[in-house]
Amino acid sequence: MLKSPSAALLLGAALLVAGPALAAGDAGKGARVFKKCAACHQVGDGAKNRVGPELNDLIGRVAGSVDGFKYSKAMTEAGTGGLVWDETTLDAYLESPRTAIKGNRMAFPGLKDADDRADVIAYLAKYTKQAAAPAPAETKTAESTAAPAAAPAATSAPAAPAAIPAHGVYHLGREATTDEVAAWDIDVRPDGVGLPEGRGTVAQGEVLFTERCATCHGDFGEGTGRWPVLAGGRDTLKADRPEKTIGSYWPYLSTVYDYVRRAMPFGDARSLSNDDVYAITAYLLYLNDVVTDDSFELSRENFTSIKLPNEANFIADDRTAEPHYANKAEPCMKDCKADVKITMRARVLDVTPESGKGNEGTTKVD
Amino acid sequence: MTEKTDTKDETGPETRVETGGATSRRRFLSGSLAAGGAAMAAGLAAARPAAAEGESVITEVQDWNRYLGDGVVSQPYGVPSRFEANVVRRDVEWLTASRESSVSFTPLHELDGIITPNGLCFERHHGGTAQIEPSQHRLMINGLVDTPLVFTMQDLMRFPRENHVYFLECAANSGMEWRGSQLNGCQYTHGMVHCVVYTGVKLKHLLEEAGIKTNGKWVLAEGADAAAMTRSIPIEKALDDCLVAFKMNGEALRPEQGYPVRLVVPGWEGNMWVKWLRRLEIGDQPWQQREETSKYTDLLANGKARRFTWVMDVKSVITSPSPQAPIRHGRGKAVISGLAWSGNGRIKRVDVSIDGGRNWTTARLDGPSLDKALHRFYLDFDWDGSELLLQSRAIDEAGFVQPTKNELRAARGENSIYHNNGIQTWYVKADGTVENVEVS
Repeated sequence: MLKSPSAALLLGAALLVAGPALAAGDAGKGARVFKKCAACHQVGDGAKNRVGPELNDLIGRVAGSVDGFKYSKAMTEAGTGGLVWDETTLDAYLESPRTAIKGNRMAFPGLKDADDRADVIAYLAKYTKQAAAPAPAETKTAESTAAPAAAPAATSAPAAPAAIPAHGVYHLGREATTDEVAAWDIDVRPDGVGLPEGRGTVAQGEVLFTERCATCHGDFGEGTGRWPVLAGGRDTLKADRPEKTIGSYWPYLSTVYDYVRRAMPFGDARSLSNDDVYAITAYLLYLNDVVTDDSFELSRENFTSIKLPNEANFIADDRTAEPHYANKAEPCMKDCKADVKITMRARVLDVTPESGKGNEGTTKVD
Repeated sequence: MTEKTDTKDETGPETRVETGGATSRRRFLSGSLAAGGAAMAAGLAAARPAAAEGESVITEVQDWNRYLGDGVVSQPYGVPSRFEANVVRRDVEWLTASRESSVSFTPLHELDGIITPNGLCFERHHGGTAQIEPSQHRLMINGLVDTPLVFTMQDLMRFPRENHVYFLECAANSGMEWRGSQLNGCQYTHGMVHCVVYTGVKLKHLLEEAGIKTNGKWVLAEGADAAAMTRSIPIEKALDDCLVAFKMNGEALRPEQGYPVRLVVPGWEGNMWVKWLRRLEIGDQPWQQREETSKYTDLLANGKARRFTWVMDVKSVITSPSPQAPIRHGRGKAVISGLAWSGNGRIKRVDVSIDGGRNWTTARLDGPSLDKALHRFYLDFDWDGSELLLQSRAIDEAGFVQPTKNELRAARGENSIYHNNGIQTWYVKADGTVENVEVS
C-alpha cells in the first residue's frame, strides 16, 4: 500500500534531478542556521538522540534508520521505500518537512531560503565520515521549485513593473489561484458546504483517537487534567456544574469536523488526513451515544443526516430585554438600600496566584 | 540611601513596605543615637559633622546626583525602570491546561490614563504565539467575491490608513466571578481588557477590492496560528468600523497581539479580533465555528444558551485602591481611580459609592472620551480611615446602566462564563488593605 505518496515523490525527485541544480553551501554559515535545529537535534562528538535523531553521518543514511530513535510511521516507511538522505532529498525535506513526508513528526516549519538549506546541508556534511562529496554544484543559485506560477517573489525586493490589476478600486493585491484558495479554505458549515471527499468508521476512529487524542482527552473523551472533556454530560446544562461536551452542548457536528481538521491534534495541526478526521468524528459520535454501532461509517454523503442533541437550545442574543437593561432607568443616587452586608469574600476561597495557598478554582479556560 | 526596596503586590499589613515617613523617622532616630554616642566619645564626635535634620535623600548627595548614568542607546529599545519590575502581566495557572491555550492579565492596578502599554496588554491564544516573518505573510479574500485576492503586507500598507483608539475586552473577563468573589486583585478580576491606538486600513476597503457579491452576508476571519482561529462576523459590522491593523500605539503589533496583522472589531468581544489574520471569506450564512458554538456562547439557568453575543456591555472597575493597590498613606486626601468602557460607544457618566451602593457620587471623567475606548475616572475624597465598600457604576451614551452582579445572576444564573459586567465591590479595611467581596 502506498502510504506516503509524498515521500515517493521526494524519492522520485532525487532520482530525476541529475543536473547541478543545487547550490554549494557554506558550512560556516550553516553552523548558524543549525541553531534553529539544535533545540531538537545534536551533531558532532557524542551526539545523542533527543527530540530528533542525532545527525552524524547523515549524508548517505537511509531515512528513519538511526538505532534507538522512535520514528513516525511515515518516516520509517519513507526509509523502507528507499529514501536516502543526500543533498537533494535533504533540500526538499528541509524546505517543507510536513509536506515532503506527510505524517512525519518533525515539528519544524522548514527553511524557506534555499541558501540557508544549502548552508546547513554543507554544515551537516562535515559530520559525515565518508567525506561526503559536496553537492555537485558550481554556482550558488537560489532555485525555486515549481511553485504556483502566479505566486510573486516572497521577499520584498521591488518587483519588475507589472501591469496594474483591473480588479477593485485601488487595484491592489493579485488574484488568488484555485490551489491557494483550496489550501486555506477548509472551513465546513452545518449544511455540509466545505466537507471534503472521504469516510471513516467508528472502529478506525478509535485507533486514531487512542493514538493521537487520548493523551489529553482521555481514552473515552473524559478529559485528563484540565484538558477538554469531549463526551458525556447529557442533561447537565441546568445543573450546578454543567458538563459542556460535544454530545451535551455543541449544536452542530460540522464544528467537530472543522475544528479537528484545522487545529487538532494540539501542537500538530493539519497532520490528519480527511479520512482520519471523518473516523475521529465518527468515534466522537460513538463516545457521545449519538451513534451506537461501531461499524458506523461517517462520510461526506451521510454527514448532514447526523444531528447533535442540543441544537435546538441555542437562542439569539436578547440581553437588552433583561430587566436591568430594558427600561434604561436613571439609577438611584441616595439611600438606595437600607443595609449593606458583606456576603462573600475572596479570602475565604483564596485561589489568587501568589496568595501562597496554592488553591485552585473550578473555572476552566481552553 | 533610601530606596523603595519592596514593591511586590501586598495583600496584608504584615507585608507593607515602609513609607517615606517611616524611613525618615528611623533615620532621625539613628541620627540621635549617633549624637548620644558622640557625647561619650567626644574626640571622635568632634571630627564628624552634625547630621543634618531632614530626609537624607535631600540632605545627602545621592549616587545618581554624583555619578554619571548610562549613555544613550544603553537600551536600544527602552524598558521600564527596574523599580517597576512588578508591573507585569500575570496568569492564573489553575485556569488552563497549557500556557499555549491560555490567558494572561493586564496589571490595571498599576496603570493610569486610558492607553495600555504594548508590553502589558493581556494575551489570549489558542495555539501559542505565531512568529511570522512579514514577507511570508499573506491575507487572502475568497468566497462570494468577484475576484478572490491575495495581499502582501506591502499591499495592505498601500490602502488609505486610519488611526483609532479602541478597547479590546475578552468576553470571559470577570468570568471567574460568576459564583462570587474568587480572585483577589483587579488584574485578575478585570485584567482581560486593554486599550491602544490602532493604525490600519478599513476592512471595507479590502472587501470591496475583491467585490462582495450581493448574497454575501457574513465574513469568516481566520488566523494563521496553530489554532487557525476563526469567527463569523456579520457583513454590516465588517463594512462599518472594522479595521485590519498592523500598528498599535505607533509601533508594529506585538507578536502576541497578532503580528504582522490583526482584525479590529470595535466594541465587540475580543475573540473576534482575529490575530495573525490570513484569510477573510465571504459567505451567505455563519460558519458556526468552535469559538462561536462550544465557546463564547452564554449558558443560561434554563439550559438555553445565547449565541452571537458580540457587544461588550457597559462596565467599570476601580483600579486603585484595589487588592493589589492598597491605600498606603493613611487617612486624609485620597484618589479613587478607575476605568469605564462600553461596546455601545462613549461613557456618559460614572458614579462611585464608598458604602457598598447605598449612596452614590458622580465621579470626574478625565482625559479623552472616545467611542468604544477606555475612559478614566477619578473621585478625589477625604478618607477618615474607616472601612469602605467601594463600587463604581458606569452609564453609556446609549443609556445602559451597569448592572449589579446579583441582577445579572437573577437574569442568567451562574453558568454563563462570558459577559460578566456586574458592579465590583472592594472592601477597604482600616489599615488600608483591600479585598474582593460581594455585598447584599
